[in-house]
Amino acid sequence: MALLQVLISGLSLSGYYAVLAIGFGMIFATLRIFHIAHAAVFGLAGYMFFLFHRMYQIDIWVSGALALVLAAVFGLLIDLGIYRPLLRRGGGTFSVFIASLGLTLVFESVALMLTKGTLSVARVGALAPVTIGPVSFRWFDVEVVVPVALLYAGLYIAVMRTRVGLEIRALADNAGLAGVVGINTDRTRTAIFLGASALAGLAGIFTAYDSGMVPTSGMDLLFITIVAVIFGGSRYLFMGALGGSIIMGLVTALAGFLFPQWVTIIVFSLLIVLLIVRPNGLFG
Amino acid sequence: MDYFYFIITVICIWVMMSLAANLVLGYSGQFTCGHVGYLAIGAYTTGILNIFTGMNFFLTLPLAVAITALTAFLTLIPLLRLGPLHFGIATLGLNVVIVDLIHNLAPRVQGAEGLFGLTMPAVMMSGPGRCAIVVVLTALCVWFSRILVSSPFGRTLRALRDRPEALVSLGKDVDYYRILVWTISGALAGLAGGLYTATLSYIDPTVFVVLFSFNLLVYIGVGGLASILGSVLGATLLIAFGEALRFGGLPSDISGPVQQALFGLLLVVIMMFRRQGLVGQYEFRE
Amino acid sequence: MSSASSLDAPPASGVANKLEVHDLEKHFGGVQVFRHVSFDVPAGTITALIGPNGAGKTTLINMACGVFHADGGTLTKDGRSLAAIKPAQALSYSLARTFQDVRVFPTMTVLENVMVAFPKQPGDRPWMLFGGSWRSVEEANRSAALDLLERLELADDADRRAEDIPFGSQKLLGLARATATGADTLLLDETTTGLAISRVPIVLAFLRGLKEAGRTILLIEHNMDVVTDVADQVVVLHGTVIASGTPAQVLHDPQVIHDYLGRIYDA
Repeated sequence: MALLQVLISGLSLSGYYAVLAIGFGMIFATLRIFHIAHAAVFGLAGYMFFLFHRMYQIDIWVSGALALVLAAVFGLLIDLGIYRPLLRRGGGTFSVFIASLGLTLVFESVALMLTKGTLSVARVGALAPVTIGPVSFRWFDVEVVVPVALLYAGLYIAVMRTRVGLEIRALADNAGLAGVVGINTDRTRTAIFLGASALAGLAGIFTAYDSGMVPTSGMDLLFITIVAVIFGGSRYLFMGALGGSIIMGLVTALAGFLFPQWVTIIVFSLLIVLLIVRPNGLFG
Repeated sequence: MDYFYFIITVICIWVMMSLAANLVLGYSGQFTCGHVGYLAIGAYTTGILNIFTGMNFFLTLPLAVAITALTAFLTLIPLLRLGPLHFGIATLGLNVVIVDLIHNLAPRVQGAEGLFGLTMPAVMMSGPGRCAIVVVLTALCVWFSRILVSSPFGRTLRALRDRPEALVSLGKDVDYYRILVWTISGALAGLAGGLYTATLSYIDPTVFVVLFSFNLLVYIGVGGLASILGSVLGATLLIAFGEALRFGGLPSDISGPVQQALFGLLLVVIMMFRRQGLVGQYEFRE
Repeated sequence: MSSASSLDAPPASGVANKLEVHDLEKHFGGVQVFRHVSFDVPAGTITALIGPNGAGKTTLINMACGVFHADGGTLTKDGRSLAAIKPAQALSYSLARTFQDVRVFPTMTVLENVMVAFPKQPGDRPWMLFGGSWRSVEEANRSAALDLLERLELADDADRRAEDIPFGSQKLLGLARATATGADTLLLDETTTGLAISRVPIVLAFLRGLKEAGRTILLIEHNMDVVTDVADQVVVLHGTVIASGTPAQVLHDPQVIHDYLGRIYDA
């Protein structure tokens, strides 16, 4: 019945949120940067994937890989070119937030100029639905959820078991101390941005493939993701981001089904309420 | 020529908004990223009262001021405990919610997404007349803001911005001052809103999206924080610049995004290199 | 100097002890800061609070101002308990304080830093700004502020931003600011730390002036010259009150020498 269908699409949405959430959450937890431009990284990957695969007819896996690499590099360049110099010049978390916002606006404007706002869909054919009993979905949805789940597991192991992961956790715990005990915070920072941006790129590629990309796709998705991150808290980043994403996936799917006019209001009201109610907000 | 009057009028509205935003951001350190939400409340109050109850436009203005001030007051209270970043995000969210609520709930005039068909007094119907009224009111707002910020009250606001806990040790209630200045700012935004409705003669929710709050941040970021002159300069220069772009030969579907891209770039550049803007007395330190 | 001086305290309430500390105890989590701390600060006198770093001297001031609350014992001002007050209420109990890390208002001028501290300014309320009465109060406050700055030899810096003056000057500014509040009791945290030796006499003269004008002072100090010069009473804090009395008595106390001074202090 319809509710089950909604749940399925909710879970599918969760995959997108989860992939964005873990990257965004990690950047905030470790570096205290509110990286709104994560939406621009997402957008760049999506548009590049569209360009390579749909326009230049490059093989889908190659297109995807190229788009991922571009996303990772772009994200890193944002940190190198804007955040690090800004922080060196005495800017604080709010200044970084505004600069990140400005950058995202530039990206969206340029995308608008180049695409005239049309929907850019990267896939060539239609996605055939599969019907099992009362529910129908697409294999694509499975193709999203499975890699995302594997990615999560892999990331979790990487952060918990590797040296780089240990440094990331140290940075999240106490950035000042991490530097003092000899952790190369610059290198760790680079790893974080590369990783998180690649993840955002993945979400962008999926979006461009499935529903298509418009200039504001990134921001729209990111704000829901931010609510998911706050829901989850930064204490147990992985479980929190995953849990929050599932909650938001279900919430947006349900709201989208029952009262689509109110989805934005619900999401942003949740955002405001969570910011007030969680005394540490994103600092969880 | 009528276009010239129109632009001056629009600039004045945004000067009022810049004053409102600078009062809270530049002078008392409250990081508002959604002030256009309050502009919307003022605009729709005037619009709804005038169109649906036939109230004289000039009478709607004090009501727009009062209702917006009240909304500002009520919406600040839950946010008082938030740190700068969270406060900024929350006010951003507030703008989005206000605009969407207006979209869902506000009455509409038959056959349109928004409000139009206001009945204006004669003087407000002509370009020069409207411009004159708005200029006079803006000048009053500038004068009022100057008195406010160069007074002991303004001094207390700056202390609040600098070191709230030290101000507390001087026995002054930090929340009281925050609420007071925010409410005054809301009143200014309400006035700007009512006048905006008269100027545009058609308003709908898309006029007040959060993007315009970001533009407002560019205006005061460029003009300079904690500066009355900066509040006037920023809006004037940037709106004039935007209009110049439009006449500069760019195709009309490009000039909008180009302006937006340049504004975004300005935000980045200001944050990186010149956080006090042109003539600001304070720079973003957070 | 006029008879109504910027140093003057509010009229005396006839209470013998401004501050009474009795069996006070404080711990943070598992760390015991102090216990069984008892002493009184008589009205119109200067009490010096000394002891090793970490002994809890600043914590005690914080407790008197409502930043922290006691875990045991009592702390009273004019006989009224300070147990549950909030920091914004401290001044209403006529208590003003300075901070060890100063906390001047950085972007405001030196003069503005002092002027913001005066109580009951009509110009502080927006609706009063359109009458005329606030201007004369502002003028009077301005004169009083300049007078305070002159006593502390800061008058030349009056129009400089507080963040641009040296740390020692900022300390003096903090002292002026606390004085301007008009509180009858001042809790001063390490006023001379970071101050050039040549400027210490300025502080001494200022403190003596405050005392003459009827104010009560609790002074955290590391500089024993200051202590012997102005203090009527010295209280030594290290886990508890290990000694109290006149400067001469305390500074020759063997335990104090062992725990803190390291040697017999000779002026």
